[in-house]
Amino acid sequence: MTDRQRNGFILLLVAGLVAASLAVIFSKKTVLGLDLKGGVELVYQGEPSASVPKVTPAALNQAVNIMRERVDQLGVTEPEIQTTGGSQITVGLPDISDLQRAQQQVGTTAQLYFYDWEANALLPDGKTVASELQAQDPTALEISQGTTAAAPGSPDVGSLGLYQAVTLAHKQPTAPKSSSQSHVGPVYYLFGAPGSAACALAAQAQHSTPVLGAHCLLAGPESTVGYIQEDLKAAFGNKVTLPQGELITVPQGTVVLQAVDASSTKPTAINSPLAQFYVLKDNFSLQGTDITNPQPSTDSAGNPDVQFSFTSKGQKEFSSVTNQIAKRGLLDSLPGHPLDQHFAVELDGKLVTVPSIDFNQYPDGIGSGGGADITGGFTSTSAQDLATLLQDGALPINLRLISSSQVSATLGNQALHEGLIAGAAGLLVIVIFLLAFYRVLGLIATGALLVYAIYFYALIKLIPVTLTLPGIAGLILTIGVAADANIVIFERVKEEVRAGRSVRQGIITGYKKGLTAIIDANVVTLLTAFILFVLATADVQGFAFTLGVGTIVSLFTAVMATQAILMTMGNSRAVGTPAAIGAAKPKRTWTFDFMGASKYFFSMSGCILLIGALAIGGKGLNLGIDFTSGTRITASLEKPASQKQIQSIMGTLGASDAVVQQVKNKSLGKYVFQISASNKELPPSRVGALRTDLGDRFGAVTSFDETSVGPTFGKTVANSAIEAIIASLLVISAYVALRFEWKFSVPVLIALMHDLLITAGVYALTGREVSTATVAALLTILGYSMYDTIIVFDRVRENIPRMPRAAFSQIVNRSMSEVLTRSLATTFSTLMPVVALLLFGGNQTLQDFAFALLIGVASGAYSSIFIASPVLTHWKEREHAYVNRRRRIEAELGEVPAYADSRQDVDPTPKAPRRVGRLTTPEPDVVSAAEFEQMKRDLEIEEKGGRSTSTLTKRLAHTPIGETPPSQAPQTRAKPSQPRAKPPRSRTNGPQPAPTAPEPGEQAAEPNRESPRPAGDGGAPPLAPDEHPAPAPDIAENDGVAQIPKAKPPQRKPGSRNRRHGRRR
Amino acid sequence: MGLLAWVMMGLALWHFTVWLPDRYWGGIVGAFIGALLGAIVFGFAVSGFHVPGRHATHIGTALEAIPGALIGMAIVYFEGARRERAHQSTDIGLS
Repeated sequence: MTDRQRNGFILLLVAGLVAASLAVIFSKKTVLGLDLKGGVELVYQGEPSASVPKVTPAALNQAVNIMRERVDQLGVTEPEIQTTGGSQITVGLPDISDLQRAQQQVGTTAQLYFYDWEANALLPDGKTVASELQAQDPTALEISQGTTAAAPGSPDVGSLGLYQAVTLAHKQPTAPKSSSQSHVGPVYYLFGAPGSAACALAAQAQHSTPVLGAHCLLAGPESTVGYIQEDLKAAFGNKVTLPQGELITVPQGTVVLQAVDASSTKPTAINSPLAQFYVLKDNFSLQGTDITNPQPSTDSAGNPDVQFSFTSKGQKEFSSVTNQIAKRGLLDSLPGHPLDQHFAVELDGKLVTVPSIDFNQYPDGIGSGGGADITGGFTSTSAQDLATLLQDGALPINLRLISSSQVSATLGNQALHEGLIAGAAGLLVIVIFLLAFYRVLGLIATGALLVYAIYFYALIKLIPVTLTLPGIAGLILTIGVAADANIVIFERVKEEVRAGRSVRQGIITGYKKGLTAIIDANVVTLLTAFILFVLATADVQGFAFTLGVGTIVSLFTAVMATQAILMTMGNSRAVGTPAAIGAAKPKRTWTFDFMGASKYFFSMSGCILLIGALAIGGKGLNLGIDFTSGTRITASLEKPASQKQIQSIMGTLGASDAVVQQVKNKSLGKYVFQISASNKELPPSRVGALRTDLGDRFGAVTSFDETSVGPTFGKTVANSAIEAIIASLLVISAYVALRFEWKFSVPVLIALMHDLLITAGVYALTGREVSTATVAALLTILGYSMYDTIIVFDRVRENIPRMPRAAFSQIVNRSMSEVLTRSLATTFSTLMPVVALLLFGGNQTLQDFAFALLIGVASGAYSSIFIASPVLTHWKEREHAYVNRRRRIEAELGEVPAYADSRQDVDPTPKAPRRVGRLTTPEPDVVSAAEFEQMKRDLEIEEKGGRSTSTLTKRLAHTPIGETPPSQAPQTRAKPSQPRAKPPRSRTNGPQPAPTAPEPGEQAAEPNRESPRPAGDGGAPPLAPDEHPAPAPDIAENDGVAQIPKAKPPQRKPGSRNRRHGRRR
Repeated sequence: MGLLAWVMMGLALWHFTVWLPDRYWGGIVGAFIGALLGAIVFGFAVSGFHVPGRHATHIGTALEAIPGALIGMAIVYFEGARRERAHQSTDIGLS
């Protein structure tokens, strides 16, 4: 395939994809996240249960499936339920406003157990009820038979207060693990002493008064002490700590179940002073998996209940247990005084019903065809909900709600609108910049950016990617990244054209040379995005996904599409002249001694970090509720309200320390308040109460936005961020070490650390809130900071073999001067959309992203030039080869100039060109000067008295057909006293005295820092410039550093010899 | 948070090593490791072998890292200088 055919094919492909993308854009709907369209988001932490002792991906997936079925029955359209972070489940429910019901319906474990009541219920002395029935123990009789007013298992029928029940359970021995236990391991409760300050706080939080002389529940029941501490933090912030309470453990084998009042439709909270409990031996007879076909129904009195049947296995078990119960009833009964026995039904720690078995009617137990019903204070809705829960089955694992948020549709729309404006503004600024700086090339890049935007948007719709606020931020950032790729290549093309190539050849060579850097930089960004996606929390995942997809698409549009367009237009007048692509004027040459000045830049960074460290110590980071836990509410009211009035409502809800602020938001209305309860998470019931109170006092609540975060969530975010940072650093280092050299990866790591810590320092100094968005931005900085560094290092790598006699600082200075314009342009093009995001992305999340990115990207560009490169220089300069070079230069010139003499550059051996066209096409014959020198050495045909290069060498040093030689390498050497005229393609600033001839003894000398061998000590005498061309790179001095290509046997093919020596024009 | 303050302080002080002759063992990267390790180990020791949390971190926490970072860099420097001297004497002996 010829170039023209290839380009035509690519352009057709691009056009076809654009058409297909447009079709997708107009036919498919964009899936918006909850933060953009409103709804409820719940994040659960999976915890082991009796049936699943370890949270596995399979158990999580099973839980997700069950939750999905439950959500479907709630009638929610397009719910999003997914596992995140290895042990969490995120549930997104659009268009739902009742947070409390959604939470109950989705996250309820629905573990159902059936117990033989009398055989397992314990008396205060620890004996079972069944064992004391024959002795007619009054408490045993009361628990077994109930009273005339209340059925067995109801509150106040031999039941205990929570503290007494837990104390009783605590005294029971630990039972060995068995399959008939509903709980594995101990369960912890934390109680406050009667009259204690902790109990006063607990009562205040419950909106009640402390009960005199009674213990109060501060935290629990929980399976670990760690969770108890988290509960404490969520409920009381830092006001109550573990030592302030009495920690009581209920051992494995005993359960404390709450009695349910069948006459009341309002459930009693576990920490209510009115709540009553029973203590049972944990030895269930059946469980939820043994029942089938649960249905809402009504009992004989017409009250709602839930009826169900048993599976065949359950039927056998049920028959067996009811048989035992009936026989015991018969045995314990006295003549004329029957003692019906019972079985108890527990649902998620509550004793929902204790029905009796009539031993007269069922003397052998209830056989086949039997079923059961659950009664106990149901409304028709709650009976329906329970039936649904039982139909879908119990969740295999326990779930702990660690974060919940509720976004109003109004706020979501506003956020979307602001995000789109920010994106459009960012795109516009980049387009203006590209057109102003690159003219026709900029126009082509703009076209490529538009194509990129169309592809990207189509992919978002096609996959589909749920577009969230962080996703929008990622999208805007990728606009900058897409422009960066074009800039890197265009600068390369301009360089080639300025060096004397034709525009067409400049495009070919520019793309070829720029591609390595582009791929390296984009691969690193992709790796970071991938690691973020795998390790981070749900919010950050959306960002990572868009960043990753955007990077891949931008590679295609920036490399393939623009190249095809340029190549097709290469011969046209539009881009056929250097002026059209902005390469008519000589390139601005940076003459700054970057390495020499690095001390000052290092010191500047040191001072910034010093201030940052003191700020971190003195002020600390202002961590948002994502990390500290708490609740934040934004409410829009119809009638005027004052902060004091809202504060007083919060006080009645037990959150008097909440911060209330009136905020301006035209979209939401006049009276918008933000309420923040940091370190303290308001439970959904109190959030609901607040909404009701606000509505009652200040008219309708037109918008209500709520986020509650538990301590676990913050820890998860922080841990996942640390894991992502470590993983990113390792992967990035490995990649850099593989692509460059392992010594290049250490400066990269130091520069990254510098960027991250400077960003952290700026956050500490400014007091700006650190949120999950900030963490995502910090992680992105890891990837993006690398972009600039790789661009610089790529040029250093390229210049090392080109400058075999230069000190490393000179190589780096040269490289910097060559890429600085490019670096500044790419940094500018990335910062522009970020600034647009900061200015126009009114939403807090978008601004958080933008601020962190602004600091990080700016710091990344700075550190690439002034931190990473100097560190690399300092380190590489210690290598023997560079020590020797430095000594030689110092001996020759008295000092090491900032820039090496470009006349000493050699033309590094070009890589074998990729075969284009048919396989039978003869390979072009290419041999470089260095190759030729090596061949000469191999053949031992060096001229006497030195390694001078013959005129033939110069003639043979050539570039592929069609290219103008980039330099007349190897150059002839001038005497120190007779500087030569600057060659036409000088890369650096001012001319410097050319060095004297290197000495053979010097080249092989062992590095001796005290007494370097003087120049001219032995070896060949200085040679006249016209007589002796510059030597080829010396292997001894370079100690293997200069990449002298291996000698290749000359490729001789019939008919090709003449072509090699005399190129056709 | 304490660890963050120590690392930042160590990194900050390391930036000034460029003003000294490069005799560090392992060069500038050796100095970097010395500064960071010194800051962390010293801070850890001074804080009673625990890392101060968010509320326990204060300006003194950041300052605690200074002697550690300096000691770390000094150790790396003198070790580098010692090795350099040893290397030179070997060179002289060989010549």
